[in-house]
Amino acid sequence: MPTSSIVQLVPTCLVNDLDPEVGFASARVLARMGFHVEVPRGLTCCGQPAHNAGFADEARAVARHTLAVLADTTGPIVVPSGSCADMIVHQYPWLFEGDPDRRDRARAVAERTVEFSQFLLQQPPGRATCGALDARVAYHSSCHLLRGLGVTNTPSLLSSTRGTTVVPLEDQEECCGFGGLFSIKNAEISGRMLDRKLSAVAASGAERLVSCDLGCVLHLEGGARRRALSVRVQHLACFLDEALG
Amino acid sequence: MTARDAILARVDRAAAAGRVPGVPVGAAPPDERDRHDVLARFVRELRALGVEVFVEASDGDVRARVQAHVSGHRTVSWAAARLPYGTATVVSDGIPWDAAYADQASADVGLTGCDAAIADTGSLVLLSGPGAPRSTSLLPPVHVAIVRRDDIVSTAAEVFSHAADRMAQSACCTFITGPSRTADIELSLTIGVHGPGRLVVVVGP
Amino acid sequence: MSGVAMPLTFHGRARAALSDRTLHEALDRATAQLRSRRSTALDSLEHSDYVRDVARRARMTALRNLGALLREFESRLTENGCRVHWADTADDANRIIVRIAAEARVRRIAKSKSMVSEETHLNAALERAGLAVVETDLGEYVTQLAASRPSHIILPIVHMTREQVGRLLQEQLGVPYSDDPQVLAGYARAKLRAEFLRADMGITGANIGVAATGTICLVTNEGNGRMVTTLPRVHVVLMGIEKLVATMADLDAVLKVLARSATGQQLTAYTTLVRGPRRAGDACGPESMHVVLLDNGRTRLLAGESAEILGCIRCGACLNVCPVYRNIGGHAYGDTYPGPVGAVVTPGLRGIGNWAALPDASSLCGACRDICPVRLDIPRMLIAMRQEAVSCTPQPAWLRFGMRAFAWTAARPPMYRIVARLGGAVLRQRARNGWIHRAPGPLGAWTTCRDLRAPARRSFERQWRSRTEARHDRA
Repeated sequence: MPTSSIVQLVPTCLVNDLDPEVGFASARVLARMGFHVEVPRGLTCCGQPAHNAGFADEARAVARHTLAVLADTTGPIVVPSGSCADMIVHQYPWLFEGDPDRRDRARAVAERTVEFSQFLLQQPPGRATCGALDARVAYHSSCHLLRGLGVTNTPSLLSSTRGTTVVPLEDQEECCGFGGLFSIKNAEISGRMLDRKLSAVAASGAERLVSCDLGCVLHLEGGARRRALSVRVQHLACFLDEALG
Repeated sequence: MTARDAILARVDRAAAAGRVPGVPVGAAPPDERDRHDVLARFVRELRALGVEVFVEASDGDVRARVQAHVSGHRTVSWAAARLPYGTATVVSDGIPWDAAYADQASADVGLTGCDAAIADTGSLVLLSGPGAPRSTSLLPPVHVAIVRRDDIVSTAAEVFSHAADRMAQSACCTFITGPSRTADIELSLTIGVHGPGRLVVVVGP
Repeated sequence: MSGVAMPLTFHGRARAALSDRTLHEALDRATAQLRSRRSTALDSLEHSDYVRDVARRARMTALRNLGALLREFESRLTENGCRVHWADTADDANRIIVRIAAEARVRRIAKSKSMVSEETHLNAALERAGLAVVETDLGEYVTQLAASRPSHIILPIVHMTREQVGRLLQEQLGVPYSDDPQVLAGYARAKLRAEFLRADMGITGANIGVAATGTICLVTNEGNGRMVTTLPRVHVVLMGIEKLVATMADLDAVLKVLARSATGQQLTAYTTLVRGPRRAGDACGPESMHVVLLDNGRTRLLAGESAEILGCIRCGACLNVCPVYRNIGGHAYGDTYPGPVGAVVTPGLRGIGNWAALPDASSLCGACRDICPVRLDIPRMLIAMRQEAVSCTPQPAWLRFGMRAFAWTAARPPMYRIVARLGGAVLRQRARNGWIHRAPGPLGAWTTCRDLRAPARRSFERQWRSRTEARHDRA
């Protein structure tokens, strides 16, 4: 196995403890494309919850640890979460602005870090594997993937799946209302944003709703259950894994 | 210490903290605009704004066009010397430019010249001065403006650079871009709130 | 709105807004239209990225050189015949303006829309001094009649439906009811025409001041800004010290993006560039002109982490795209500047102490950063404000303790695993079919409007290691 084919899969804290299947699905999709998947030892969390809440010292403490773990690996760092990838790519260098050594290391790690769908889209056409799945699918980008990392063409991974129709959503690019701690501290506003997103999904006639951030998925899935909606909410990795059979 | 000195001292201290980022800007993109197109562009933009626009070939045509808009209407107009193409002659029994505001407000039409026009945005540039007050283009419900073709430029930037001296001589420079409007109520476009609801532009040779 | 006391906390106001059906009707009618218009206008511009860069540079350069520019601006204004006044605080600014009015024997004042005057509560101060003051922007006039406040930077009554406006004018002006905006605007035109003609003093803000020429730039659509700078014999400009650009070229750069971002127009109907009182031979324009430069917390913002926010050109675009604003409207923010920009500006100007809830009221979705014509990184500034809140204001014990514990354990993987496993076990106790309907503690807020997935019995990493080790063993 040439070293260039090694990828580091960062499971993220949510995948690790709440939905391990997303991690395995990501690993299987990457393996199907010919990558050797490694999971770095000693990962916990990227520190985003503390960072977004304004706990800079706490965020730095966690980031120092994660940065050390990741800096010690080789190959692309693939993160099945837009917001965790954005944390590493954009927020780490900011957090370590006053610490030149770490800032440089953070920049080097940021260079290697990509979100899962972003990584798939970067592969040469021959390498990407298209599966088949009969489904009407709506896509919800996580905001950090769309506007933080600027990844806009993720839905092409869905539409290149045989049998899959991607249906548009009203206010397609509007936030679903997850926002990490925002969903707890401002639960009522978050809930109203969730209502709007789920209404758009219901109106679209989609059978499935696919997203690239487990935070959004848990929020949308939990919301759909509470409202007894029949739409199935999935992480992109699980969808692609299922399509690949 | 006066408030002035205290504020400026705080500003200088804050600036020293260097919190405001610098902004690197790339090279200006090439300007591929067709300079011969200014009149056509100007007319297009004016129409899109809901302005009635007429392009006339001779001084006489300009006067006739203006006459058609002012005859039978009480008209307040700029001083004769400030109106091009001898247009002042078509206004009979008009309200003088320096009449009391209430009289000007009772006019049906305000007739003005124009110091420059901007094709890209469909804007008229009016500089206030003796014989050319701002009230004429503001108080009546209809504003008729006469534009000389040579005064039309492409951009506001050209006005700022070419007319800098004239602007310095004037207390007020107004860019008029279409009729008075509001969208304050449910974003529903409503024309003619405080300023003129109808704008007529006559472009002369 | 009138006569109804607003709840005291952000959360109280947000809750009230969320259950206000008329508010949502009004906001939904407006925001959808605004969004589509704005994207057409700025995208229609050739080289729009370059244009935004140049506008941003104009604003940031001005802030970096603010001290020098303010001195230059003052000199040019004075040469142009203006009187320049400096105000440390809102009260100082109001006092200065009341004094100017008294010295000029002013009785009636016509005001053009100015957010800074909302910030200083100028109208109340003028009325206390016995002066009659009328707002002349249609939306501001309606808010004045309703004894309310604007809920949007450029659309003061975006929170009201046309039916509400119609009923208000019927009650307050005694005119026949109508819900036709054209008719309603006609009522205001007739009423305000008289006010313009008899006002002794006009008060405006400044959209932009130009240091090199001492120019005050006002952008308006209705024409009221022209009226109050043309007809009354005294003109007072109240502006924040940050609203400067260096040159007319920089003014041009800002004008290129301002109306496009605000209303989707290339330029507003009227762009008024005032350079002092009337000159010799002029038949109109004020006899005297005063410019009041206000600090009121701006120098503190300038020294801090969020200095960049002072580059805001007040176009309101970030409000129109903000999913939080869309759901709670502007009044819930509790102060002059609502929406994402307000969530930075308000605690920045007034201090984080009473305003820590505002920067929290964002999912950090970044729509504001994307739409901003001068590329303000509002999400980052919201985080910086949250950091200030964490260091300066009391936090809920669960949060402070939780974050400390999180940081300590997350840097110690074995401890982290133990805590995660224990936490998972506690939560699983509550689960039925893998889902939790009512979660304990702070997580209870999550389950007010959605179910919570129960944590996995075995974490991804444990399963992964045992599988890969099994493979190794087989090999």
